[in-house]
Amino acid sequence: MASRMSDERTSFIAFARHHIFVTLFGLVLPVALFAGFIGYPIVYTFYLSFFEWNGMAPTKKFVGFANYAYMLGDKYFYIALENNLKWLVVSLAFPVVLGFLIAYAMRVRAVYLPTLLRTAIFFPVTMSLVAVGLMFLLILNPIFGAFDSVLRALGLGFLVREWFGDYRIAIYTLAGVGGWAFTGLPMIFYFAGIGDVPKETFDAARIEGAGHLRMMLRVALRQLRPVTAVVVMLTLFESLKAFDLIAVMTKGAPFGRTNVLGYLVYLESFWNSRFGYGATVSVAILVLSIAVAALLLGKLFRGAFDV
Amino acid sequence: MSKPAPLIHPRRTLVRLRYATPKILATLFALLLAAVWIGPLALMVMTSIKPNSEFLNGPFALPIAPTLEPYVKVWEGLKFGVLMQNSLIYAATGSALAVGLALVPAFALSRFEPPGNRYIFALLLTGLMLPQQTVLIPLYDMLRWLHLFDTRIGLIVVHGVYGMPSQILILRGFMTTIPRDIEKAAQIEGATDFQIFTKVILPLAVPGIVVGYTLNFIAIWKEFIFALVFLNNEAIFPAVGMLKLNSDRYISAFNLPSAGLVISQIPIAILLILAYRWISSGNFVGSVKG
Repeated sequence: MASRMSDERTSFIAFARHHIFVTLFGLVLPVALFAGFIGYPIVYTFYLSFFEWNGMAPTKKFVGFANYAYMLGDKYFYIALENNLKWLVVSLAFPVVLGFLIAYAMRVRAVYLPTLLRTAIFFPVTMSLVAVGLMFLLILNPIFGAFDSVLRALGLGFLVREWFGDYRIAIYTLAGVGGWAFTGLPMIFYFAGIGDVPKETFDAARIEGAGHLRMMLRVALRQLRPVTAVVVMLTLFESLKAFDLIAVMTKGAPFGRTNVLGYLVYLESFWNSRFGYGATVSVAILVLSIAVAALLLGKLFRGAFDV
Repeated sequence: MSKPAPLIHPRRTLVRLRYATPKILATLFALLLAAVWIGPLALMVMTSIKPNSEFLNGPFALPIAPTLEPYVKVWEGLKFGVLMQNSLIYAATGSALAVGLALVPAFALSRFEPPGNRYIFALLLTGLMLPQQTVLIPLYDMLRWLHLFDTRIGLIVVHGVYGMPSQILILRGFMTTIPRDIEKAAQIEGATDFQIFTKVILPLAVPGIVVGYTLNFIAIWKEFIFALVFLNNEAIFPAVGMLKLNSDRYISAFNLPSAGLVISQIPIAILLILAYRWISSGNFVGSVKG
């Protein structure tokens, strides 16, 4: 290991000597900026997680692992963690699967007007989640909301719920709205991915009598493993980052039942002035993302990222 | 498909219909799906041109007396002119900074195999997945220390640096698709890295730069957490941040927030129409695949 490190160091010096411009502006500058604006904040967050600090006091009180101990006993931490997982499951089941189906349908020309469908579904990806949240607050409003009216008009009135008031379903409402805004992204990724699959592959499968289901599962998905890896990663990060919609739509209500980890950090730090504990939850998010990302990269998608 | 038939064959029409039926059914389903995506937006636009009394009487009825009054009210009440200008400044300069910082690293990663590039990719992924809330406090401290808190420059720098990792990945993906023959020739002629970068790579990377810039522009336009935490002065607020701040204030009147939303979304819609060909085809996707 040590010899490999020194190997890399000497070869780096050799590289730098030959490529001064590339080394300075292509490696040193971005790494320095990264270290200052992204690396340092991560380290500082880690450091802060061992302190008790209200954000104003000049001194921070060192408390060791007390924040971590508190977190492991905190009911709201577990609710938020569970909600992040629910969010992830909904995101994988709804926008990712639907995005794939739409991309496939468009590529095999199973529908007319593919451009209309693609545009309609992609547009919300570009929308601010503040706008999406405000929009669905109106649409899911129990009195003025269009959604309940449409359900009633279709004779599905029994499905009408308190979309944000019922603590059992509020998080799914939020994740569903998030999915509505997110579907365009997996769709575009799969659309480009299926376009890269050689046409002969599909033709061969079709001649052998494969139906759409088998074409999708056996041909498309198998060829699209790298795309799926990227899509799953993005979905995972989106789910762990979930914040905007909650900040706009429910602010964690009812009874903290729609809290997610990202919102818990914000709540504890900036509303409860417990910056140390906020940092601790941040560390939990970071560890969680790194662990799951490493698992995905290492196990499920070996070779999918050839970097 | 087939050769034009001299006569319209009834059986052929039937056969054709039989093959078209599944496609027609699928299309109906697709239209239904499209309606689920277009419906909310259409309702929002419709609500934004109704007087509030009309909205209360029939929330989904077509507007009887369409009015631009909500727009005027929001534009003046929230000083939307200033907000939009601010958003434009942040998105335009922040993305320029992100793309500018990312160009040479993308060139380096696409053309050379600098030692330790595995670590650089690990850093890039970290930058991509980092939830913003986790770094707010240290960044806040840092901006204060640099005397950049509550300034436009401060927010632009943060956006630029945080946009850099994804831009490096996008541009690197694009640059790897540029054939190497031209630069090989240039190298034989004795061109330096810098000359190859500016004379060969940059001109050919323009489509990639446009896509990257557009995506970053949209990302900054959408963002509000950084703005809410790093700015105090509402005169330099971006539009989306202000919408968030105001979302609790006028909740009893739905036409005003709707108008605000529509206004804040218009520049993005225009940008999307201009860059649609590149973005919606998903050509940028190859870049992220590595």
